[in-house]
Amino acid sequence: MIEQFFEGLSMALRIDTFVMMALGLFGGMLVGALPGFTTLMAMAILLPISFFLDPLVGIPFLLGIYKGGMFGGSIPAILVSMPGTGAAVATSRDGYALTKQGKSRKALDMALFASVFGDTASDIFTILMIFPIAVLVMQFGPPELFAVLLMSLIIIAVTSGSNPLKALIMMMLGLWLSFIGTDPLGGVERFTFGLFELKSGIPLLPMLIGVFAIPEIASVVMRNEKTRQLAAVMGERLTLTELRRCFRTIGRSTVIGTSIGIIPGLGQVVAAMMGYSAAKNASETPEKFGQGELEGVAAAEAANNSVNGPTMVPLLTLGIPGDNVTAILLGAFVAQGLRPGPQLFDEQGATVFAILIAMIFGNIMFLAIGYLSIPLFSRIVTIKVSVLIPLVIMFAFAGAFVFRSDSVDLLMLVVFGIFGIVAKAARFDVMPMVMGFILGPPLEYAFGQTVAMTNGDMFGFFLGERWGAATVLALCPVFGYLLWKRMQSVNTA
Amino acid sequence: MFGLMKKTLTGLVGAGLALGLTVGTAQAEYPEKPITMVIPLGAGGSHDLNARVITSIIPTYLNQAMIVRLTPGAGGQKGTQEVANAGADGYTLLFTHNYIDQLQQHVESLPYNPNEDFVPVARINYAPIAVVVRGDSPYETMDDLIAASKADPGGIQMAHSGNWGALFVPAAQFMKALDMQWNLVPYQGGGPAMQALLSGDADVTMGFPSTLAGQIQSGDVRVLATAGAERIYDDVPTFGEVGVEGDVGFMHRVVLAPANTPKEVLTKLEEAFAALAEDKTFTRMMGRLGENVDIINGEAYQAMRDEQFGAYKVLVEQLTSQ
Repeated sequence: MIEQFFEGLSMALRIDTFVMMALGLFGGMLVGALPGFTTLMAMAILLPISFFLDPLVGIPFLLGIYKGGMFGGSIPAILVSMPGTGAAVATSRDGYALTKQGKSRKALDMALFASVFGDTASDIFTILMIFPIAVLVMQFGPPELFAVLLMSLIIIAVTSGSNPLKALIMMMLGLWLSFIGTDPLGGVERFTFGLFELKSGIPLLPMLIGVFAIPEIASVVMRNEKTRQLAAVMGERLTLTELRRCFRTIGRSTVIGTSIGIIPGLGQVVAAMMGYSAAKNASETPEKFGQGELEGVAAAEAANNSVNGPTMVPLLTLGIPGDNVTAILLGAFVAQGLRPGPQLFDEQGATVFAILIAMIFGNIMFLAIGYLSIPLFSRIVTIKVSVLIPLVIMFAFAGAFVFRSDSVDLLMLVVFGIFGIVAKAARFDVMPMVMGFILGPPLEYAFGQTVAMTNGDMFGFFLGERWGAATVLALCPVFGYLLWKRMQSVNTA
Repeated sequence: MFGLMKKTLTGLVGAGLALGLTVGTAQAEYPEKPITMVIPLGAGGSHDLNARVITSIIPTYLNQAMIVRLTPGAGGQKGTQEVANAGADGYTLLFTHNYIDQLQQHVESLPYNPNEDFVPVARINYAPIAVVVRGDSPYETMDDLIAASKADPGGIQMAHSGNWGALFVPAAQFMKALDMQWNLVPYQGGGPAMQALLSGDADVTMGFPSTLAGQIQSGDVRVLATAGAERIYDDVPTFGEVGVEGDVGFMHRVVLAPANTPKEVLTKLEEAFAALAEDKTFTRMMGRLGENVDIINGEAYQAMRDEQFGAYKVLVEQLTSQ
């Protein structure tokens, strides 16, 4: 094991690995920054290239695209309030508020540092604990996933806004919106009114852009904010003092994100939200969250990136891809004659360690690449408002369209945009709705699976065989109540 | 990144050319612009990966780029409908599989008619499925499993990858052919289903041998039966040998074109796909993905489609009437 590790270390130290990884990181960042283009698409398209490269070049190249893309997604989220994925929603909250205050550079720097730290820490943890994690992953089935998702939704509803009741209403709306389309388990159509366009459900991207970006554009246009300008200054870079202030938050979020990464099927969205909620709850000034708090950006970004390490574990130890990104990586591994699975470490241990080590070097390299690129990106906010707003609108529509190439999505974008404007005016926070919408389908799926597994005896099943899930479910109301009380005392104080 | 840019650019150039050239060049030889291959499934799945290999090689034989467009949704119906509505000019093709193509029509009403709206161009390859249990499972052979399933109807948990999907359908065909009952639990894909088997949540699942090699070698799973007329593993019986006959447990990856596509266009496409079978780079890359290459032309596959139509019809009727 130790020998393999050092052999891997020496294998990873080669120039072409670094060059291709840097290319992947930079390219991934650009693709991730374009709304509508996903890193998944970029990885799938570039997969055949990796077939012709050495395993130690091709796989780090793909991983580079993935890691670069993760950070790239937070760039439009921070600069123009346009989160391209659910994972960037929490970042967008304080990130865009900071941009409005003319502190976009600080926000981007913080996002970069928190991402890289979260990712690196979880990668190192994963390398050290790969086999215990592999055992732990096996403890989570649909009932546990259901319980944890339910708990997450409760925490989001209670902690996200100033008014938990409004947040709950919005979350219910989001859950209902997620029901529209074909029921994922039984294949029955729900709330489609016979329209084929609704059969595959409401797509996420038009909703994200619609409720987050359009109201911001509208507020600039409606108030005719020529003088204020969206944020004419890029602002200063992040200072060490500010960074130091967020160390605790970054550390907490990394632990949360890594733990969530171990549970198969939860993913970055939940991690970002939980990291954000925890930071807000632990803060002495929770009312500042959402108003441009650097800690908010740090909390969300550290959490969603630290999911990455553990999600590789089922792939490497069992040969099972948990999601589409790992499925592409599986393709890349197999094509290189590395068959992930229990025997991989016996046969190719050094190569696997080399790849994992290259991942860590990639993170460090990305710190430099990102740091140098941020001034380029933040220049966007210095564009004149009369030019920037049409550009953002164009990107909003192009992004919504390019995702599925379906013109219905443009209509959805407009509808969600108007809804977002109205909700903002009525002081309803749209975030719980989006979270309900994103987490509704996996929650429902896990519930349906659980019902199928129980053979009819739900109580007996939970209490007899799934006491872990039963405990989490029992704690849900307690936890929700305590957080509610805490948030109330904060709001009245 | 460069590939993406290149594809986007060729797409744009192609679109521009199409606008400019629609008038007056009807006689020009097909293909004169890039061809779009729609996949009605999500990114990163086996169709996506197969298509990436196909589209990186086939331009050699068509002298035009082939662009992949992923249009997932409504269990594959969204992408399929898109191609059904596309022009029958050979510039929009569908890369799908037999369950989306032939089974769904018996389950629900579709916004297209798979038999009237499409003609097959080629079958690229097929994936035979295998019945697997955990390495420490009490079921040593398929007969053990069948006996246990009959003794305790619904007591055996079978993890599959979604209703009417590539694992569900063979499982249903098994239940029907052997007159037994499994408790079918859906998972979001073959990977999670396999994980459910390994973690003990499920007693049995199915999987493609190309993805199973690692787990078989390590002894984590045991294969009880495999699809096809010939044995894949020397000591494991085929479906036929355990009493399940017919075209059961094959996922055929096929390329379809809108019906009424001109004959010469179809011929050109069929030739290009047939040429792939001889292409060393293609077979090597597919081999690396763990996929076989067994190209069948459109006409021959149509016969198989007709057979599937009848078999799936009976299957769905029997399953839904219970």
